Amino acid sequence: MLQNIFFGLSLGAVYSLIAVGFALVFNILKFSNFSHGGVMSFTAYAGYYAYIRLFDGHVSSSWMFFAVVTTAAVIGALTAVAIERVGFRRLRRNQAPVIYYFISSITLGILLENIITIFASSNFYSYPVFFSSDNLSLLGTTFSVADVVTLLVSSASLAGLLLVLYRSKLGLAVRTVSFDVNTASLMGIDADRVVMATFAMSGALGGISGVFLGMNYSLYPQLGQLVVKGFIASVIGGLGSITGAVIGALLLGIVEVALIGMVGSGWMPACVFVIMLVFLLVRPRGISGVIVQEKA
Amino acid sequence: MNAPDQATPSSGHLEVTGLCKAFGGVQAVNGFSFDAKPGEIVGIIGPNGAGKTTAFNLVTGVYTPDSGSVVLDGVALGGQRQDEIARQGVGRTFQNIRLFKGLNVLENVMTASDPYADYNFLAAVLSLPAKRRSDRQAAEKAREYLDLVGLRGLEDDRPEALPYGLQRKLELARALALRPKVILLDEPAAGLNPSEVREFIDLVKRLHERFNFTIVFIEHRMEVVMNLSHKLFVMSFGKLLASGAPEAVRRNPEVIEAYIGEEE
Repeated sequence: MLQNIFFGLSLGAVYSLIAVGFALVFNILKFSNFSHGGVMSFTAYAGYYAYIRLFDGHVSSSWMFFAVVTTAAVIGALTAVAIERVGFRRLRRNQAPVIYYFISSITLGILLENIITIFASSNFYSYPVFFSSDNLSLLGTTFSVADVVTLLVSSASLAGLLLVLYRSKLGLAVRTVSFDVNTASLMGIDADRVVMATFAMSGALGGISGVFLGMNYSLYPQLGQLVVKGFIASVIGGLGSITGAVIGALLLGIVEVALIGMVGSGWMPACVFVIMLVFLLVRPRGISGVIVQEKA
Repeated sequence: MNAPDQATPSSGHLEVTGLCKAFGGVQAVNGFSFDAKPGEIVGIIGPNGAGKTTAFNLVTGVYTPDSGSVVLDGVALGGQRQDEIARQGVGRTFQNIRLFKGLNVLENVMTASDPYADYNFLAAVLSLPAKRRSDRQAAEKAREYLDLVGLRGLEDDRPEALPYGLQRKLELARALALRPKVILLDEPAAGLNPSEVREFIDLVKRLHERFNFTIVFIEHRMEVVMNLSHKLFVMSFGKLLASGAPEAVRRNPEVIEAYIGEEE
């Protein structure tokens, strides 16, 4: 039981990285950024590639894991910034309707998947095993090291993000722009820079979650479609709310694990989507209760 | 950063010439000109829909003028982005108060001082000591500005929870934090009761004495207009109708017909 909850939490922690990366962009541009999935696929491959090139695919140790995660985070940040330049900046300049952003983001996500398929084929690659399959024993239950690390690294990344958002001037600028871009600019805030920084943060989180997804599910171009999990978590938690996204994601992880036990892994996704639907219909504000108007 | 700078008397010269802006077929601003010398307090009055707020939006870069020029201390502002214009020393407040509702009072003021604490993404992420120091300074500065407008002690409150009069003061504090050479006030006394209006006039006079910046304001209330302005511009249907000393403008028959007479 305890073991299952823990497994659910660790799964939820990865979902929360996705959901928060998603929520960051939602907050500032008010659209659901599905290109985030493309970023996650791309970074998962980038991490794998870095591992092969840097370490010849031989060494497997925990600090190697941190090198791979860092690489993926940096690549993720750069990719997301590039996506913003290519896919969204022009739209912002023209003050295009939000639906255009939405379509652009889906297009870019699919485009990235296709580019990956060209260069890496649609084969599955197995991700390096960074952590021996040893288990930790605690309180009479055993936990897998990989799950513990997942939970720790996710929490640390989120804590870092919250620190930036709520304790730095950059974070203040991000929050300001997310309330009202126009007034923010009139206060001298360079909205382009703030949007870029937001995408960088979102991309870095996407990179970290990409590596975890690769470790959990092996590597294939459509890996990033798990962005849907982040989306579900965002809806449950309340679109655009950071804390809501985290709570929604942790709940989703635990519910998924519980559902697998109850109805099996075949029925689980269907049940999850029903839950999401119920939230949309009954409580569109999500758990957090913050009302953010989705424009697309 | 040092204490709020006294703007040098030579800066803050705003010259607006032949401003035009049409929205579809509506000529909102049609060849409007005005100027404000350094340290001057200039009022713009005119009937509703005369294009006063549009003129402010053209000066601050919210809209790009169809033609005409906006020059601050010899630098053309036309065509620049709104954040660039703001950073060159043009602060403003809004007719319908536009505070950031999700931020607290202190943070609202800090947003405007942002350009002066130039952030570097890496430094922000790593939360370097220099970075933290500048953040702390920014908070101290913001407190000073709040103090100046009389909002000390309300730092942690939500702006939307403040009474209307205090929200106007908060907007003023936020505009001050930009350390403007020119400050544009769009109907700053709208919605204030008579005693608040008097208080507001005193506050603006006090701030003007302290910072010596140029003030341009749009206002309907004659008490404010007559008490504050050194010079008055009257706008009607997008054009300049009259300008000059407040008393002279007030007696101008054309102005009385277009505006003042209609109200009284």
